[in-house]
Amino acid sequence: MSFVDNHLLNLVVFLPLVFAALVALLPAGENGQIRTVTFIAMVLDLVFGVWAYMAYVPGGPEFQLEYRARWFDMFGTSYHIGVDGLAVSLLLLTVFLGPLVVLASTTYIKFRIKEFHLALLVLQTTMLGALVSLDVLLFYIFFEAMLIPMYLLVGVWGAEDRQMAAVKFFLYTLAGSLLMLVAIIAVYFISAPVGARSFDYASIYNGLLDANRQLSACTAGPAGACDSLTGLAATLHTWGPWLFGAFAIAFAVKVPMWPLHTWLPDAHVQAPVAGSMILAGVTLKMGTFGFWRYAIPFFPVATQQARPFLATLAVIGIVYGALMCLAQRDIKKLIAYSSVSHLGYCMLGILAITAEGATGSAYQMLNHGVSTGALFLLFGYLYERRHSRLMADYGGIAKVMPVFTAAFVIITFSSIAVPGTNGFIGEFLVLLGTFKSDLGEAAGNAHLTAVFGGFATLGVILGAAYMLWMVQKVFFGGITHRENQHLTDMNLREGLTVLPFIVLVAVMGLQPQPFLDRLAPSTDRFLARARVGTPGAALQEDRLRVEVMSLPPRQVVAAPSAPVPLAAAPAVPSPRQ
Amino acid sequence: MTLPNLSLADFLPLLPTIIMVVGASILLLSEVFLSTTASRSYQAVLTVATAVAAGAVALTTMFEPPQEVMLGFGVLDPFSSFLTFVVCVGLALATLSSVSFLRKRGAERGEFYALMLFATAGMSLLAMSNELITLFINIEVLSIATYALTSYLRRGTRPSEAGFKYFILGAFSSAVLLYGAALLYGATGTTHLTAMAGPLSTALSSQPGLVYAGIILVGAGFAFKVAAVPFHMWTPDVYEGAPTPVTALMSAGVKAAAFAAMVRVFFMVGKGVDPAMLLTLFSVLAFLTMVAGNLLAIPQRNVKRMLAYSSIAHAGYLLVGVAALFVTGPGEQFRLLGASALTGGTPLDLARAEALRGILYYLLAYTFSAVGAFAIVSVLERREDEEKGTAWDLERFSGLAQRKPGWAFAMAAFMLSLGGIPPTIGFMSKLLIFQAAVDAGLIGLTIVGVLSSAAGVYYYLRVVVYMFMRPVPEGAQALEKSWSTELALVLSTAAVVILGIIPGPIMGWLEQASSIFGQ
Repeated sequence: MSFVDNHLLNLVVFLPLVFAALVALLPAGENGQIRTVTFIAMVLDLVFGVWAYMAYVPGGPEFQLEYRARWFDMFGTSYHIGVDGLAVSLLLLTVFLGPLVVLASTTYIKFRIKEFHLALLVLQTTMLGALVSLDVLLFYIFFEAMLIPMYLLVGVWGAEDRQMAAVKFFLYTLAGSLLMLVAIIAVYFISAPVGARSFDYASIYNGLLDANRQLSACTAGPAGACDSLTGLAATLHTWGPWLFGAFAIAFAVKVPMWPLHTWLPDAHVQAPVAGSMILAGVTLKMGTFGFWRYAIPFFPVATQQARPFLATLAVIGIVYGALMCLAQRDIKKLIAYSSVSHLGYCMLGILAITAEGATGSAYQMLNHGVSTGALFLLFGYLYERRHSRLMADYGGIAKVMPVFTAAFVIITFSSIAVPGTNGFIGEFLVLLGTFKSDLGEAAGNAHLTAVFGGFATLGVILGAAYMLWMVQKVFFGGITHRENQHLTDMNLREGLTVLPFIVLVAVMGLQPQPFLDRLAPSTDRFLARARVGTPGAALQEDRLRVEVMSLPPRQVVAAPSAPVPLAAAPAVPSPRQ
Repeated sequence: MTLPNLSLADFLPLLPTIIMVVGASILLLSEVFLSTTASRSYQAVLTVATAVAAGAVALTTMFEPPQEVMLGFGVLDPFSSFLTFVVCVGLALATLSSVSFLRKRGAERGEFYALMLFATAGMSLLAMSNELITLFINIEVLSIATYALTSYLRRGTRPSEAGFKYFILGAFSSAVLLYGAALLYGATGTTHLTAMAGPLSTALSSQPGLVYAGIILVGAGFAFKVAAVPFHMWTPDVYEGAPTPVTALMSAGVKAAAFAAMVRVFFMVGKGVDPAMLLTLFSVLAFLTMVAGNLLAIPQRNVKRMLAYSSIAHAGYLLVGVAALFVTGPGEQFRLLGASALTGGTPLDLARAEALRGILYYLLAYTFSAVGAFAIVSVLERREDEEKGTAWDLERFSGLAQRKPGWAFAMAAFMLSLGGIPPTIGFMSKLLIFQAAVDAGLIGLTIVGVLSSAAGVYYYLRVVVYMFMRPVPEGAQALEKSWSTELALVLSTAAVVILGIIPGPIMGWLEQASSIFGQ
């Protein structure tokens, strides 16, 4: 194996950071150079990212391209990265957006250009790091570190109310994820006996697995059957719901699920175009990815109990987001609320725990990154020309900007899931999965499944209504404002940034199979692990345990003198005799 | 009476302290021969060199086995060596940031640096004290030096107010501590901590009131020193009034030494009395200190005062670590998340070792972050504004990112580290403390700690907001360069950022340093 094969993910993750150091050394006034270097970094990262995507073998082991090194042994953590199908797909989405974000900002960002590009590069590294982490603590570190550059993007280069939006975004996310930190420490603590403890994903998951199965088996029994559990299963019986709750709140803020979504419209509206694109494109997916990778597999029984509740929130999010969109006069806010609605589908698909639902949800995560990313990008171009976010200030734009309008309409079709676009496949699968699911049984009445599905379908209709209504008001009809008569159509650079999105909409809509192939092994395993929580479900034993590479042996360093082993030291302070 | 027979070998463990005292003496003596206009650049260099030498010696002693020194009046163990290292780091950084501070005020004199060295020598000795009278004397050594340093800049009312307040309350708390020590002596007939455990449990059955009163008074005395709520009232005023580099040394060094002494005393006392009582005592202190420190810091617009309250909050997190030391065996009701059920044995030794390491690592992390933050405060303040009280206003940080991007980056790193945001050393150290607390079963206290640190992020972030997101105020004066402060900033920023990602040798030292004398 060559160096690149061994370190492919390391390269993908840290290449932007290395280039960030390079950008930091460039003189502040050299804006052209700074942009070029950043762009080259993002393109190189895209190349390596595509390489990683291609190198992932769908039929192979669950985690591929693994790399593990000793790091902070004392905490029981290690530097462990690797990707499964979903992670590598989201990684592809992230590196795909990278160069486009840089291109999209060349004229939008007018001051402190060096710092802006530094923030973009650092943000890229932290997002990719969170996706590839196979150590829960490492994931948490990247997950939190992501906040800092994003906070600066919103707070420094944002619109008029940027400070409020940035602080709200930061504190909301932080409060959730700090609770998750306590839960992470707690699962680390309960998942293995002293000495064997580790923050490694596999170690925690496998450590909880048997207890989860015992717990699941007893929940099917008569009431009170679970009270006789011992050991870890008893701990999980008592504390599992709380720990799941802590994980769920952290990720639900990020998704965002109603009613924890209130930071999102502010952050999206105030953020510069690059910030909105990345927020919508990648960081929101960290929430759904977190449910998929951590919260649900760790606590399948608690998930089973909370499913109806969470699915209800997801459906409320879908309908509420859509209704809020109908009431908006601000275009950017409309796109932001449409994210609340779209991410509701992703959550509903995950919570359905059916093959269709999970696949649709994973696909929808990618779709939303493409379509909403593109919508923010396109609106960014319009905003640069007109400096207004209000629908009332536009009208008849199609007459002066025909190419732009065509692009916007295509992306709109993707967003409202017109057949033939990528959005259709994702939303259709999610709805199918919801109708086929046992969500109703979990909620106590089999008919409720149809209610969940029905409201979700209502969201699709409302989605078409608000998007088309917005498109009609902005682009069609007569030109109602004199300022709009002389707007110029997209230039070559702008066209080039939009083109990849349109290509992807078509390719993912017409040829979904290559993408779905890579998601399939992940959805299989996710379903197997989530079904641990369903009493009596047939379990695919070979899909349950997480297999990862082991920790490399410790390099023996000659200590100045032999340290006293801790375990040998007597207890302090001893209880009173 | 026979004189004790001391050989040279008895003094070797005290080498770091001896180096500092010698350095201080050279400074004092050489000052006598200088004219008022002579260059005094050598003084800071000498102080830093002394601190580096003492810190290096402390690192070499870290690998010695725990042992009694000076006839049992002190001990040398990796715990005390690491602490000496921490206070030397604090001293070096605070000295570097004080050069331009003193020069701007025309107050650069050998006495200042000598006092800093004496205070640090006292801190190092305090960490080694194993006997109550020695402990008290060392507290006085470091306190008297810091009283003098607090009112070192005599002009204006603030320094004298701060110095007076600190002196009165410091003396009062020393007296409380001494009273408690006397009661413990009365109950046990010894002042040696090592010999105290046995008589203490006997005395507990015959004179419980005496023992409890002694413990509570000693505890209260230490709570004053580490600024734990409700004994924190003096902190904001004193921290605000003292010269900023002195505040840095106080917040990092004095606190570290007091924590070390507190851990040692209660470690030994805990062997004789019911640890559950100590657990309750420290849990309550930790809870109050974390919550009140963070909540009181939120409304502050004066950055120096904000950092003072933040230092109170950080004492609270440290107290969580101290509380984790006193969690006893399985079956106790405060063990919320039962580990023993899984393992069959008690994992508490591990939790205790973790807690000790956590406390030490936290003190190191706090030293880098807080001394760095105070260094930034000191370069931004101007003497003219002090009387008006606007020298430390948040407004002074407006647009710092445009004026001095390097400083703004450094301050942002310090703020994020104090707030416990990864990937900084502040996160790693907080994680270690909370991990120890969870391991010990203090889940409730951990959640309070985590939530209050989330509240804390608000006021740290506000500084970042001002630096990066506000325009430069009209008529802002040019900021002068000072190589020594820049050096301090570079060092502490590098430590805050790099140690948060790559632990380096620190982890090895820490693993070593959790062996404390008398285990």
